[in-house]
Amino acid sequence: MTDSIRTRVERLRADFDHSFSVPLRTLDDETVELLAIGVGGRSYALRLSQTSGLHPDRPVTPLPTAVRALRGLAGFAGVAVPVYDLATLLGHPIGDEPRWLVLAGGAPPLALAFHRLDHHVRVRSADVVDGSAAAAVPQGCLRGMVRLPDGNRPIVDVAATRALAHRMAGHEHSEVTT
Amino acid sequence: MPENRDPLRYFRVEARELVEQISSGVLDLDQRPGPEPVAKLLRVAHTLKGAARVVRQKEIADRAHEFEEILIPHRDDPAGLAADQMRELLRLNDEISAQVAALTRPAAPVERKPEPEEPAEPVAHRASSGDLDELLDSIGEASSRMAPLRAGCRTVENLHRSAEVLADQLRGGRAATAVTRASAQRLAGDLGAAGRRFIDAVDQIERELAEVRAKAEGLRLVPAGSIFTVLHRAARDAADAEDKRVRFTAHGADVRMGSHLLGPVSAAFQHVVRNAVVHGLEPQAERIAAGKAPEGSVTFEVERDGRFAVFRCTDDGRGFDVAALRAKAQARGLLAAGEAEVLDLVLHGGLSTSETVTEVAGRAIGMDVLRDVAAQLHGEVKIRSTPGAGATVQLSVPLALLSMTGLLVEAGGTVVSLPLDSVRACVRLSVAEAATAAATGKLVFEGTAAPFRPLVEMLYTGRTVPDAAGPGAAVMVDAGQGVVAVGVDGLCGTHALVARPLPGLAPSTPVIGSVSLDADGNPRLVLDPAGLASALLRDDSGPRAASAPAAPPLPILVVDDSLTTRMLERSILESAGYQVDLAASGEEGLDRARSRRYGLFLTDIDMPGIDGFSFVERTRADPELAGVPAILVSSRASAEDRDRGTAAGASAYIVKGEFDQEELLAHIRRLVVRA
Repeated sequence: MTDSIRTRVERLRADFDHSFSVPLRTLDDETVELLAIGVGGRSYALRLSQTSGLHPDRPVTPLPTAVRALRGLAGFAGVAVPVYDLATLLGHPIGDEPRWLVLAGGAPPLALAFHRLDHHVRVRSADVVDGSAAAAVPQGCLRGMVRLPDGNRPIVDVAATRALAHRMAGHEHSEVTT
Repeated sequence: MPENRDPLRYFRVEARELVEQISSGVLDLDQRPGPEPVAKLLRVAHTLKGAARVVRQKEIADRAHEFEEILIPHRDDPAGLAADQMRELLRLNDEISAQVAALTRPAAPVERKPEPEEPAEPVAHRASSGDLDELLDSIGEASSRMAPLRAGCRTVENLHRSAEVLADQLRGGRAATAVTRASAQRLAGDLGAAGRRFIDAVDQIERELAEVRAKAEGLRLVPAGSIFTVLHRAARDAADAEDKRVRFTAHGADVRMGSHLLGPVSAAFQHVVRNAVVHGLEPQAERIAAGKAPEGSVTFEVERDGRFAVFRCTDDGRGFDVAALRAKAQARGLLAAGEAEVLDLVLHGGLSTSETVTEVAGRAIGMDVLRDVAAQLHGEVKIRSTPGAGATVQLSVPLALLSMTGLLVEAGGTVVSLPLDSVRACVRLSVAEAATAAATGKLVFEGTAAPFRPLVEMLYTGRTVPDAAGPGAAVMVDAGQGVVAVGVDGLCGTHALVARPLPGLAPSTPVIGSVSLDADGNPRLVLDPAGLASALLRDDSGPRAASAPAAPPLPILVVDDSLTTRMLERSILESAGYQVDLAASGEEGLDRARSRRYGLFLTDIDMPGIDGFSFVERTRADPELAGVPAILVSSRASAEDRDRGTAAGASAYIVKGEFDQEELLAHIRRLVVRA
């Protein structure tokens, strides 16, 4: 090993080691990470930053309840988490059995169930059209659209969806984390 | 080595346990004089003395010695100790407790920093050694179940070799067909046997691990009995100061709950118990004059009532002096006319029941503390008082974690837990008995007709459930409002569980009390016996249809090519209150199905053109119709046809030959979509 290679190896090693001590790099403002999903036969997107976990095929224990969107409870790390049907929250009739659970950011724990996960995408901020500016009153749980190669998708605002679930459950809505 | 740095490490633990035993032993002796408690106290004090000497804790050893000296003359004395000797024992007990509590960890060698103070309420946060032993036993048991698995692994290796030999035989083509066939059959047989052994072993390990998990969860909870000694001592000291005699009894030592509850509850009830002795119990002469036992009684009870822990302090004293309290209230310009209002004032501070402010229980401080604790724990306080006969102060607090034994029951494909302490009996039901019970809503048990309802109806979640034969057993539940019968498909044994309240975002019916997690970490619902009982008793008071949720069912579409069947089904359904449309063929059925919203399809199988299977399949494939459950009714009774029906997506399958109106209606009640 020549000196120059040794120096380079050492520098790479130091960089590698150093990379563990710096906080996970947040993406710069130029891009937005989204989950492209299918709900009630339609295509939507979710902001990844508003979620805290994505789980396929997790058993949901049905719960007798008067809240139609409440599918039941699922276990996450020793906690029973309420699971709401995203299709119902978005106003679609209950159709396909949801396969995916996404944990909504914020507290208390809440999972949203949906049927189809299309892909995970990173798009330029310019491709996201902020709908809230256009409409003075935000429309339901949707906030804006994203242009994707397979078409435009409305973006489901997880915080607004959480707020709706809180209202349905008669739960005091004290916190919305965006 | 840590032992060198902290020579008291083990002594501290042992001494705390011994002090706890001494404290409860002294109070025990006070109430139940005799050679037996004396002997027990001597043993414990002697152990403490020995241990203290070993670690050079002279003060503790000397106090333990003095303690022994008082007791030794009373070894065989049934009469018990004189009052001043008892007082001296209690004093030594306190001194030893204080010294043991002061055994802090050794400070840093140079500078002695003040140690954080011990929490004010000495509640046993540590798991008792008995609980740990049980957990260790369970872990040992689970580990021992690994042996069959290890043996199984060797068996698999042998089988692997046999399979290779067989492959060789087949490749060479030299061995006779009969020989290879015999080898293959032997291999198949061995594989089958090994498979069964594996299943057994894995089942057992799973059960053992579930047990281990439950016990480990239970360690997070503390038995209520751990606060009894402190309360007993509070009663004793108050009685001593007031020159009264009191008998303190406590019940419910085994009820377990989070230690964060027991600390504040213990603090509040020390005041309540003192109040009961000072304000409640009359002086001895007064008691005798009133025809009461000279010795007053204070009882502290802990019990679990559904999702609540209930703490109750009852005395047999004079009760609250409502008239005096009212006068006192009026003198202060407070308005309180009724007894309940007066007691409310006591609860909300400012009104004491005692004529004089004593050192032991002054003013209404005790009640203030209790009220604060109730607010802090989201609990509720109730006071009951009978003049001349005594008073009860009760605090109920909701439990976040609750350890209990559950009976696992299955209904409509779901397994739920029912707290075992509310189960009076389980009754096996024949098909006929189940049908009668379902039709009448009653089940005869111990000579009375108990209200009956299948659990599956109460667990209705709006989704279709797998077809089941209907209730095969009834669980007789008693939640204090009378016995009710709950029909279940099957019983799956008992298990230890830790129940948590339902999350705030998951409101449910009163039938569901809490939720626990099963061995796989999936939520399992825990029924609330009181909720079940009131759901059943409420239904029982009105007509049976009243049990239906407020939303009316959507109409039912009957598809059958036989006029007789169509008319029969229509009359059954209409008399049960459903709206019915008819179709004479699968084609007509599909047309009608798309023309309006239905709550359920009831279809024959054998029809010309589109048959029942196809009708179900096509509706399942149509996103608009897939949500409408379908029931197949047919004279075909084979398992094959049933399977085909299930595969097509039918929610239930009813055989015409066994046609039972109640069974059909039960399925419909369970499945029908409501508006």
